Amino acid sequence: MNMARLLIALLAATSLAAQVSYEDLVNPDPEDWLTYGRTYDSQRHSPLTQITPENVDQLEAAWIYPITSTTRLQAVPIVVDGVMYVSAPNEVHAIDARTGRNIWKWNRTPAVNRGPERGVSVLGDLVYVSTPDAYLVALDARTGSQVWEAKIAETKDGYYSPAATFAIDGKVIAGNAAGDYGLNGWLDAFDAETGERLWRWYTIPQPGEPGHDTWEGDSWKTGGGGTWLTGSYDPELNLLYWGIGNPAPDFYGDDREGDNLYTESVVAIDADTGKLKWYFQFTPHDVHDWDSVEIPVLVDAEYEGKPRKLMAHADRNGFYYVLDRETGEFLHGTPFIDELNWATGLTEKGRPIRVPGVEPTPQGNFVCPSTSGATNWMSPAYNPATGLFYVAVKEGCGISYKAKQEFRPGGFGFMGTGYVESPEEPWQMFVRALDLTTGERKWEYKQITSKQYGAGVVSTASGLLFAGDDQGFMTALHAETGEPLWHFNTGMRISASPISYGVKGKQYVAVAAGVNVVAWRLP
Amino acid sequence: MNRFLAALLLAPFSLVAADTNNPLGNSPEVVESGRQLYNETCTVCHGVDGEAGDRAPAMGAARRYAHNTEEEIQQVVLRGIPGTQMPSMGLSEEQSWRITAFIRSLRAVAADFPPEGDVARGEEVFWGKGECGQCHRINGRGGLLGQDLSAVGGSMRLSALRSALTEAKPHPPLGFRPATVKTKDGKTIRGVLKNEHNFSIQLLGDDDRLHLLTSDEIASLERGDTSIMPTDYDERLTEQEFRDLVAFLSRLSASKPSKSR
Repeated sequence: MNMARLLIALLAATSLAAQVSYEDLVNPDPEDWLTYGRTYDSQRHSPLTQITPENVDQLEAAWIYPITSTTRLQAVPIVVDGVMYVSAPNEVHAIDARTGRNIWKWNRTPAVNRGPERGVSVLGDLVYVSTPDAYLVALDARTGSQVWEAKIAETKDGYYSPAATFAIDGKVIAGNAAGDYGLNGWLDAFDAETGERLWRWYTIPQPGEPGHDTWEGDSWKTGGGGTWLTGSYDPELNLLYWGIGNPAPDFYGDDREGDNLYTESVVAIDADTGKLKWYFQFTPHDVHDWDSVEIPVLVDAEYEGKPRKLMAHADRNGFYYVLDRETGEFLHGTPFIDELNWATGLTEKGRPIRVPGVEPTPQGNFVCPSTSGATNWMSPAYNPATGLFYVAVKEGCGISYKAKQEFRPGGFGFMGTGYVESPEEPWQMFVRALDLTTGERKWEYKQITSKQYGAGVVSTASGLLFAGDDQGFMTALHAETGEPLWHFNTGMRISASPISYGVKGKQYVAVAAGVNVVAWRLP
Repeated sequence: MNRFLAALLLAPFSLVAADTNNPLGNSPEVVESGRQLYNETCTVCHGVDGEAGDRAPAMGAARRYAHNTEEEIQQVVLRGIPGTQMPSMGLSEEQSWRITAFIRSLRAVAADFPPEGDVARGEEVFWGKGECGQCHRINGRGGLLGQDLSAVGGSMRLSALRSALTEAKPHPPLGFRPATVKTKDGKTIRGVLKNEHNFSIQLLGDDDRLHLLTSDEIASLERGDTSIMPTDYDERLTEQEFRDLVAFLSRLSASKPSKSR
């Protein structure tokens, strides 16, 4: 029979259940990696146990997939039933996750060159990506065909959207970036099927709203507060947790006296209404560009003898925080770096006790950590079996400068100058394991020669932790001890967080390394 | 930049006809009158409707031309090319511009010179009698096996669009080659190959799902030599329906505007 005719005949009435349901996102198949942090709690912990501390030294490269339009991929791949989705600015690639072969590729045209791209989300038969021209685009997961697009912000105003999109029940949440340009940020929720915008929450309180008075004069109008990474979600509480970026101008705080809410905070947003439930500010009136976008990790654990819904957050400012995620109550905080000179500690409410004289100056002033931060947007992980929170850490100080600057609309830098690495001691990257509730350091792994942030970690239920570094190495560490058990030189700086997934019973570890996505498995 | 090139580059994002230096403009009427004049004047050597002829090349083939701007084309039509077999045909200035509009329309993307026809009827044919929507998508509606046509008018020449509907091609492009796979665990899957190599295939099945198989899982793989795209639309549709369908497709040149509010 003529195959063409046969196919046409068979095409009638094929309507199937969607590939990824909301229930799947809440409780993903062990082999899948369906959201940025694998699960809504962003624990970044794979239940797969095929690769173990005993056999990890046999791990070998399965395939390498290049995406040469960019120099440093930052996206976390998503894996659905053997199909991997990876994004680069203006691009999404669907890859056979066993073989590294391309299935389809989507390009945004015309392509605007602005900022990185941190990942897609999936729901139903759609893949959601945000773009450098600040749109949210929905693609058919099977073909890459564009189904709809929705505007997040005006490109010409200087906005772009590098944030990994975040899919929940019937909605897709999208963030944007522009804090360093004096443009105010927000979070948007779009209808997952139609792209209609359902709500918007502004990170800088509008006149008349609570928190507006934390801004001097009109400084709120150019206050920044980007939403440029992604969030976490508690389905039971129906709360979305998202870290907010820096106030603007970043280093010059003289004209924006006040705490500058909700910059440098984590916010809990009602997912149905887009209303703020609570917030916790890590760095009031920040002048060091310590964006608090770092992923909030949600853990249900015992705290002081009682089961509690906790949030753990290692902030760019050098403190590790434990909060009650129902109320935002501060429970505990402690530095996770050795060199921290800007605060002597935290108050009972979690507010930093500032050391005077470390603010940026026109001549340059010494501060630890540097602006690049004690950690940054690369993801931490939590292993429930060890009770340890794993985080990529940078030890190192900086010299920060300030200068008054006039705001210019249209997406021009509004940072009030900047920072350099301290000449006294080079920066140094570590992977550290912290006790979840106390923040006590259990072990550390020094990544010799590595000084640039960007590479995150992934934990597995077999007791492994995989970590990348700026030298291009992927290293498997023992989750209990930090002992290195395997390594692979990818040859390019890793600026993304790894994942672990499975296809047909075989476990893989993968990461975007430089321009390549690299995947490993046992022989 | 060459205006024609500029028009081509801008075409996918523009619904209006391309910029023109043609004093008569480039409306469908001018193009149609140019086509008639061309067929009366030029077809001794060139083929009908701009196709290749016995002694001279096609005007709208996918190749590089020596004369690309409207002015260059018009001068050749009016004066011929000295030293070659291309003569001056004794046309008036106005006639030469009409023929120029027609020749340019052959080379531009369809959306630049969308042909006349009932666009609404053409859309009905697309989703109805033509059954195009069973395989093709427009702005999220339709089938998956064929190419997404949301911007087809902005990316294909009119001649290529017409021929895609009427002429069988020997090799379907990568990503659309039909195949039937029998797996070692006894399943038969039909669909199109999105990608293949010696060691694996990536198949989009007629069940609208992706099937990713390695060679050790495949018992047999039968590839179709021709696209599943029918190419007898000039026969299965009436002349008017065909014209309306082409008019509709030619005007598809951008994805839907943003739905945000």
